[in-house]
Amino acid sequence: MRISKAGLLVVLALLAPLLVELRTVLSWINVELSVLETAVVGAVLVAIVLVWAFLPENGEDEDTDETADRNVSNGD
Amino acid sequence: MMTMSNAYIDDFPAEAKVIRAAFYSSFFALALGGVFGVIQTLHRTGYYRFIDSADYYTVLTAHGVFLVISFTIFFLVGIFTWAVTTSLDRGVEDLRFTWGWYGLMAIGITLSGVAILAGFTDATDISASVLFTFYAPLQGHPMFYLGLVLFVVGTWLAGVDWFRSWWAWKGENPDERIPLPTFMVLTTMLMWYIATLGVAAAILLFLLPWSLGWIETVNPLLTRTLFWFFGHPVVYFWLMPAYMMWYVLLPKVSGGKLFSDPLARVVFVLFLILSVPTGIHHQYLDPGIAEGFKFIAMTNTMFLLLPSLLTAFTVVASMEHGARQRGGTGYFGWLKALPWRDPVFTGMALAGLMFAAAGFSGMVNAGMNINYLVHNTFWVVGHFHLTVGTAVALTFMAVTYWFLPQVTGKALWSRSVALGQVVLWFVGMTFMSNAMHRAGLLGVPRRTAEPQYDGFEFEAAVGSIGELQAQIALGGILLTLSLVLFFANVIGTGLNGRSDDLPANEYAGTLSGPEDAPLVLDNLKLWTAIAIVLVIFAYTFPLLSIVDRGGLFGPELNPFPVSIESVTLLAFAVEHLAVGALESLSLPGLLEVIR
Ligand code: HEM
Ligand SMILES: [Cu+2]
Repeated sequence: MRISKAGLLVVLALLAPLLVELRTVLSWINVELSVLETAVVGAVLVAIVLVWAFLPENGEDEDTDETADRNVSNGD
Repeated sequence: MMTMSNAYIDDFPAEAKVIRAAFYSSFFALALGGVFGVIQTLHRTGYYRFIDSADYYTVLTAHGVFLVISFTIFFLVGIFTWAVTTSLDRGVEDLRFTWGWYGLMAIGITLSGVAILAGFTDATDISASVLFTFYAPLQGHPMFYLGLVLFVVGTWLAGVDWFRSWWAWKGENPDERIPLPTFMVLTTMLMWYIATLGVAAAILLFLLPWSLGWIETVNPLLTRTLFWFFGHPVVYFWLMPAYMMWYVLLPKVSGGKLFSDPLARVVFVLFLILSVPTGIHHQYLDPGIAEGFKFIAMTNTMFLLLPSLLTAFTVVASMEHGARQRGGTGYFGWLKALPWRDPVFTGMALAGLMFAAAGFSGMVNAGMNINYLVHNTFWVVGHFHLTVGTAVALTFMAVTYWFLPQVTGKALWSRSVALGQVVLWFVGMTFMSNAMHRAGLLGVPRRTAEPQYDGFEFEAAVGSIGELQAQIALGGILLTLSLVLFFANVIGTGLNGRSDDLPANEYAGTLSGPEDAPLVLDNLKLWTAIAIVLVIFAYTFPLLSIVDRGGLFGPELNPFPVSIESVTLLAFAVEHLAVGALESLSLPGLLEVIR
């Protein structure tokens, strides 16, 4: 995993504001998403994050790789 | 007996008991407030209406008072007691006195709470459905006001308790700097003493005598202005303890140190000085206050952004320091090294993030001209659920996961549930508050049981009102679930046995310590004097002109008891008058026609 489980949870949570605000922002350029479409975009984003998180690490393509595999502990 | 751990309860068993009592009182209020919160969310969005709409205002009063008066303030007196005793490393001077102020607060809020809840039954004629702002001409039962007075006096005595500790400590350590947590408590309390003068005057001189029938009328603009004299700084009374947690606990749980002790002191001094002379920014739309005074309040408000920006900087810098201590690297890569698994950390970090969003909507509220767009709409409710409802409430819930073991001596029931709880709050509040803000922009009013009108539809530029309602209801339900998880953890922890493997009672060290802070920062008398002068500047003329125009006790005004009978009576009277007027008008008209 590229990120700790807790980190993943937080990243997924951060998708919520991204999604609700994205809908407003897109409307400024006349892209009006329905609730269903927004949900689909959300599902796609979740899927992308999950794939990224669970993809085995392959070295150089991520600039933050060194910290990712340090298996961040939880401070106790 | 040998103690195995260095938790707070091991060093200060008696004080831990008081703090526990304060916490449990706070949580009880949170539970009640939460129940009312979801009831009103489902009611006003139209999803589930099982109460009478006339009772909506009793629910809303209970939600407001229990959450922003009892939940927040009981919690903060708990952590202030912790902060003073821990940082001075001495117990309270007189334990009976400490229990005394706690008891006074408890009795006071019980009186007010009973007065509010009695509004649900017809068995008594007691009620106080006056909302947490208790604006005249809404009138509550005297017990409501009396309770508030006792509660506030309790907090004053709590302040005396902490000052006594500090004086005693200073006697023994004449040349030392005030430890940072104690400094924060003292500056906050000085601000609170000044601020509460407004509400004390409003209640003792006007509202209480009026509700007792001793005086006939009050000047509603005067009592409102006195309310906001207190009503703005009270938000800092909630916020400064949350800031204290961000300064002294967050760096520690991030694995680092506080970036700068002097900067933290500057921030608290700025709050002491600037919190009070800004209250009129809640009254931009009140007729009877000259624009110029409103402009002064706006200017002071904009200056108040400064300490919040300083806080954002210091807190993020401390977190980054912690992350790098834990091995984080890279421009943003250090974020990954933060202890996201720890609910104390994650809760506070998410609370801080939401506070940044709240800062933006707060700027809109603070601007005199754009305020007109959002005033009294649902936008405002969206805003303060990010500030007090998240920046403060979520921080308090998150630090509970650290404090509860400290003051009970029991291990936390479940860290995973705790983590889920803080994340769920964040997600729920995102949905609820985003939709509230947007609904407000469409003109949807706050404080309304049924925001639907015949022959009028709110129009949404994007999406629809129905979607916004759904989003609000969804958010409200997630928040309620989050509260359920929170209480599960509090109760589960209470049922645990004593643990002797608890983290030690410590707070964050500093990178730049008090020795770098100019001595003048600790001159509390100076800052208090400046704060008072600014208040005199900001309020003398507005108050004088309000009294001049509306009279100290107001023009003729009949109290308006909040009950549905009086509304029907009033409606009947208006109808009667109108029909009478029409008749007298139309009779000559008719005669004319006949002729
Ligand atoms: C379960 C979580 C919560 C839900 C579902 C909720 C929901 C609501 C709703 C829908 C309103 C607006 C009602 C109206 O204007 O008609 C409201 C008002 C309010 N809420 Fe909350 N809330 C929650 C938590 C909180 C928290 C944690 C706080 C503060 C610590 C808070 C403080 C307030 C205040 C001060 C008001 C305004 C009361 C008034 O206008 O008199 N709420 N809440
Ligand atoms: Cu304010």
